[in-house]
Amino acid sequence: MTDNAEATNPETVTIEVDGRELEVPKGSMLIEATDNADIHVPRFCYHRKLSVVANCRMCLVDVEKAPKPLPACATPVAEGMKVRTRSERALKAQKGVMEFLLINHPLDCPICDQGGECELQDLALGYGRGVSRFTERKRAVEDEDLGPLISTEMTRCIHCTRCVRFLEEVAGTRELAALNRGEHTEIGTYVGAGVHSEMSGNIIDLCPVGALTSKPYRFSARSWEMLSHPSVSAHDCVGSNLQIHHVRGAIKRIVPRDNESVNECWIADRDRFAYEGVYSGERLQAPMVRDDSGAWQETDWETALEVAGEHLKGVVTREGGDALGTLVGPTATIEEMYLAGRLTRGLGSANIDARLREADFSDQDRSGTFPALGIELEALDGVEAALLVGSEPRWDQPIVNHRLRKAALQGGAIMSLNYRAQDLNYPLAAERVAAPADMVAEFAAVAAALLETATGRQAPEGLDDLLAGAQVGEAHRAMAARLRDNARTAVLLGQGVQAHPRGAVLRMLGTLVADLSDSRFGILTDGPNQAGAWLAGAVPHRDAGGQPASQPGLDARAMTEAPRQGYLVLGAEPERDCWDGAAAEAALRQAASVVCLTAFVTDAMREYAQVLLPVGTFGETAGTYVSAEGRWQSFPGVAQPVGEARPAWKVLRVLGNVLELDGFEYDAPDAITDELAERCREETPSARVEWLAPGREAAAEDGLYRVGLVPIYGGDALVRRAPALQRTRHATEQGVRISAATAQQQGLADADRVQVQQGGHSTVLPLIIDDALADGAVWVPAGLTATAGLGPMFGPVALARA
Amino acid sequence: MTAVRDFFRTFFLWELLLGLKLTGRNLFARKVTVQYPDERGPQSPRFRGLHALRRYPNGEERCIACKLCEAVCPALAITIDSEQREDGTRRTTRYDIDLFKCIYCGFCEESCPVDSIVETRIFEYHMENRGENIITKDQLLAIGDKYEQQIARDRAMDAPFR
Amino acid sequence: MADIRSYTMNFGPQHPAAHGVLRMVLEMEGEVIRRADPHIGLLHRATEKLAESKPYNQSIGYMDRLDYVSMMCNEHGYVLAIEKLLGVTPPPRAQYIRVMFDEITRILNHLMWLGAHGLDVGAMTVFLYAFREREFLMDLYEAVSGTRMHATYYRPGGVYRDLPDRMPQYEASRFRSKKDLEWLNKDRQGTMLDYIEQFCERFPTAVDEYETLLTDNRIWKQRLVGIGVVSPERAMELGFTGPMLRGSGVEWDLRKTQPYEVYDRMDFDVPVGTNGDCYDRYLVRIEEMRQSVRIIKQCVDWLRQNPGPVMIDDHKIVPPTREEMKDDMESLIHHFKLFTEGYCVPEGEAYAAVEAPKGEFGVYMISDGANKPYRVKVRPPGFPHLAAMDEMAKGHMLADVVTLIGTQDIVFGEIDR
Repeated sequence: MTDNAEATNPETVTIEVDGRELEVPKGSMLIEATDNADIHVPRFCYHRKLSVVANCRMCLVDVEKAPKPLPACATPVAEGMKVRTRSERALKAQKGVMEFLLINHPLDCPICDQGGECELQDLALGYGRGVSRFTERKRAVEDEDLGPLISTEMTRCIHCTRCVRFLEEVAGTRELAALNRGEHTEIGTYVGAGVHSEMSGNIIDLCPVGALTSKPYRFSARSWEMLSHPSVSAHDCVGSNLQIHHVRGAIKRIVPRDNESVNECWIADRDRFAYEGVYSGERLQAPMVRDDSGAWQETDWETALEVAGEHLKGVVTREGGDALGTLVGPTATIEEMYLAGRLTRGLGSANIDARLREADFSDQDRSGTFPALGIELEALDGVEAALLVGSEPRWDQPIVNHRLRKAALQGGAIMSLNYRAQDLNYPLAAERVAAPADMVAEFAAVAAALLETATGRQAPEGLDDLLAGAQVGEAHRAMAARLRDNARTAVLLGQGVQAHPRGAVLRMLGTLVADLSDSRFGILTDGPNQAGAWLAGAVPHRDAGGQPASQPGLDARAMTEAPRQGYLVLGAEPERDCWDGAAAEAALRQAASVVCLTAFVTDAMREYAQVLLPVGTFGETAGTYVSAEGRWQSFPGVAQPVGEARPAWKVLRVLGNVLELDGFEYDAPDAITDELAERCREETPSARVEWLAPGREAAAEDGLYRVGLVPIYGGDALVRRAPALQRTRHATEQGVRISAATAQQQGLADADRVQVQQGGHSTVLPLIIDDALADGAVWVPAGLTATAGLGPMFGPVALARA
Repeated sequence: MTAVRDFFRTFFLWELLLGLKLTGRNLFARKVTVQYPDERGPQSPRFRGLHALRRYPNGEERCIACKLCEAVCPALAITIDSEQREDGTRRTTRYDIDLFKCIYCGFCEESCPVDSIVETRIFEYHMENRGENIITKDQLLAIGDKYEQQIARDRAMDAPFR
Repeated sequence: MADIRSYTMNFGPQHPAAHGVLRMVLEMEGEVIRRADPHIGLLHRATEKLAESKPYNQSIGYMDRLDYVSMMCNEHGYVLAIEKLLGVTPPPRAQYIRVMFDEITRILNHLMWLGAHGLDVGAMTVFLYAFREREFLMDLYEAVSGTRMHATYYRPGGVYRDLPDRMPQYEASRFRSKKDLEWLNKDRQGTMLDYIEQFCERFPTAVDEYETLLTDNRIWKQRLVGIGVVSPERAMELGFTGPMLRGSGVEWDLRKTQPYEVYDRMDFDVPVGTNGDCYDRYLVRIEEMRQSVRIIKQCVDWLRQNPGPVMIDDHKIVPPTREEMKDDMESLIHHFKLFTEGYCVPEGEAYAAVEAPKGEFGVYMISDGANKPYRVKVRPPGFPHLAAMDEMAKGHMLADVVTLIGTQDIVFGEIDR
């Protein structure tokens, strides 16, 4: 393109800022132009991801021919505009604004957590006066309790309203507002309702002053003494990019790292506050082995590894390789998974699985490379229609939900097929609520609806069996139409599919629906590294590199239902992390040898394990997670491991040496990553499942059926031990949920607490009447301490008045 | 003539005798020698010696764990850990000064917004064991308690200049 | 007669006359020096690199520790360089205070040099007398800054605080009669300026005393005259500055040739030698002390008549007063930011030099616009002097090396940095 053509480009205008000529897109605001040109204009209220309100007035600049300084954030560029950001008039205006902002600001800097990273301080130094002229009284504002995550000091507020706009525009919850006017303006909830958004922590980052700060971090460190290292979220399959801030090896806080294609500049509260669990009292401090009497003794690493080696070797030599099973927890890195897989296979066993919360593995040989998202996260912003099946992204993957929300606000049709009505912060285009037993039929009905209009497509064999007599309704046809008639569409399966006893069929239907409607097909997996597990060989049917295993071993469910003699448990708490916690615990208890590589030690673990090896957890260990997108994201270990803990890859490496296995000579995690990456080079992400005619299932028996999905703050050992998160409403308001009709039917309408019975196990939980649920479905969350002893996540359940 | 005078001066050790006269005079002059440690030289109220942490008259410690002193310390001699105390105030849980690292520049005192950390007049202190060079919050507060009157007097005297 | 074989001797670093940690490898032929090879680095503390890693103000205290007998002059060079980059000029009162303390420092340094030099050469008494007067000057340091040596008193933009309005006094003890105590405290009744003035009255007499003991003393002259002769041309080639250069007859003094602060308003003379030997350098330094007293007196007079600020009034560089800091928001923010991050210095480079007692003490500084220097280079006066040791010592006797070290006024703090 020639210069001349550029100058007349209809999409851009030419402006002059501080004597520099800038070519900027038409319709953009002045501040965007200056930001892109690295010309700094001070601002408080402007944020590139939020709407423009121009109420702080800090970004006043001098525009030629304008009678007075104009706010750069709200002034659209115009051809030939001449702007001076540092002229006398601009500086005088900025200085004046600064003086007004400081009039009511309290002298809190020394005790304010924002001190040192405060935009007000920075701009006061850069643009304000040296000494105040204000001698009158300052105003004071009463604080409001916003919950266990956010600490407030509202006197410090300068009313930029970034928090208000974030909660309304991004989090979609409208929990804060500006009340009153003029000097009496206050930011608050008005009714003391608190802030409960699952992304609420972002307002801490947004607040330019110290009005909103982090409660768990409160007063514990200063910005300048912390070192900052990159990391990746260990709680969902999005792989949000984080920065860990730590002092002398102790993690002090987590903040987002900008990555437009993953998490933009936001992170979920779970990613932000889960680090507290790292310093939980339940951390295993030193390696422990049982002495002759069976009592636990702390010991040194060398002894512990010897004993662990003897146990594993013993099981294999006595009972054969098949007697050993390896359970890999949700937060293990691919390096750990890879080494665990090679260690297990090196001992002659193929029984290794990281899919602890899945129930149906019958499709594993027909699946694609790994349960992939099938669509770029960024592309989710622009989907025109998406069908969520058994997925509650708001609680499972808040960033995915945020992106779907963006799509929905632009007119995208987000549809849900779930066990309960979605509690979302945007409108759904269509919603079906189905009891677990009806799920397959409902989904099959959508497929059938698509087939009705598909020309030249035969219904695949066995679809009728899946429909099981259900009729294709208008609702199904509407869903099908939206998927079929739009270009950018997606079918996304969630936790509720993965844990469903007929998950394989649902995944198959998903593939079918996606094919018929020309949609992208993906799975929102559990944990940060399910994709990695498939690639690293931490599944029984795939070797490292994703190649089919020559001799498939037992899957996670089989390993607990057909107990082994020896178990290697890597970073999991099987009683809470497994699909059938009760069976897992029973299997471990009967085993002769259980070696646990774990960061946290539970009472159950002390009973069934023979060797406990402390390993590093989030922030303490270097590694790589593969997100559902198939994005490999490596991160360094930055925090000092608590006690004697060591990164698990090092422990597995030495364990490999102790067991005299070949090829365990790694000096750094990168060497493992590179080796594995080399083997995975040809894998392309795909979650597709080939069709295989399913048999007719016996009609589900009547009665109550458990829906035991993992709540937002129950997914992994770390989150479960993060005190602040556990004090939020999302964690405290947990209990048995049934619809009013079900309660009526069970005679529990007036009960406060109920006894939940599943198999031979029972527990007492509060009862919450929740009409969002399908009739007959009993919502009993998994992964919690209270529900650890219960049976399968999906299965028949009985309720009794407690 | 000069040569003759020089000769006699040289011969009779004249300049050496002049020197001896000077030293002799000083032998009987008033002594300025200070009999340390029984006697001390004058000490300025601005003196920068051993550190102390001060309290308010009601017994509450002044330090609010703002960490300005830690930040400004050129020798990185100060280590502070802080947390929220039960009453909601910002407090230190650890305030260590490594006296071996400290260069007694006084920046900590200059930076303190609440006049908590001060450098006192104390200059005679010693350590007998490894590790004693690091003085803790309790020790610092104890020094502050013991010398509070003098510390307050010295600050008051110097207040117009700061 | 047996051949005299040359041999190598290690002088220092644990020699009392080595002035700290000088290690000199001497190649001897009998008692005659054939080659003198100074080894340095034993006191290297990476001051320059350290200064590049912290905000500007935090390194002031480390400058004191370069030439640790002329502390404030080092600070002066450092803050001048920063001020040059910042483009600020301290208020006149601060400039007068700086000049006064530069000269006090010069006397401090020369007294130290005189005592040590005398001691090295064999004159014990001068050391004691020199330290007697030095004590008064140390008291001044303490009164104004709070420490007797490492003052951290000069700041970019002025000096930390004004001169105190009273001097601390001796307290009663069982070793002193009341009369003695009164006598000791006689000079300390008034302000600090009174005290300095009285010192200025008294001090020339003290210098006379040193001269009585040394100047005509035959042993002193035998040890100094004709030792370490450096021609003016050679002195300039070798990069000599200060008394080492002036002793060789070159009239070069930064206070006259490139006046900084208010030296151009001062009336003083610059003594120069004629022979370029140790004795001339001795005489130059003795005269410098007398001239310093002249300058101090002028400063005292000015300071008496002109009260005023000692710091610039720009809180973007200089923290506000404590009273302001506790009272208003802007000041508190500036206090907070200046003590945590310091100030940012505009991009650029600057070289600032002062006439330190030992010669030209210069600081070369590059700023990349951050809050800490991109590069700091200190030009210590002692380094080129020590580098000329070989040339000066060649052909002299072993004992003369001690004289040479003395005359060069070596301090390892600045040479090793």
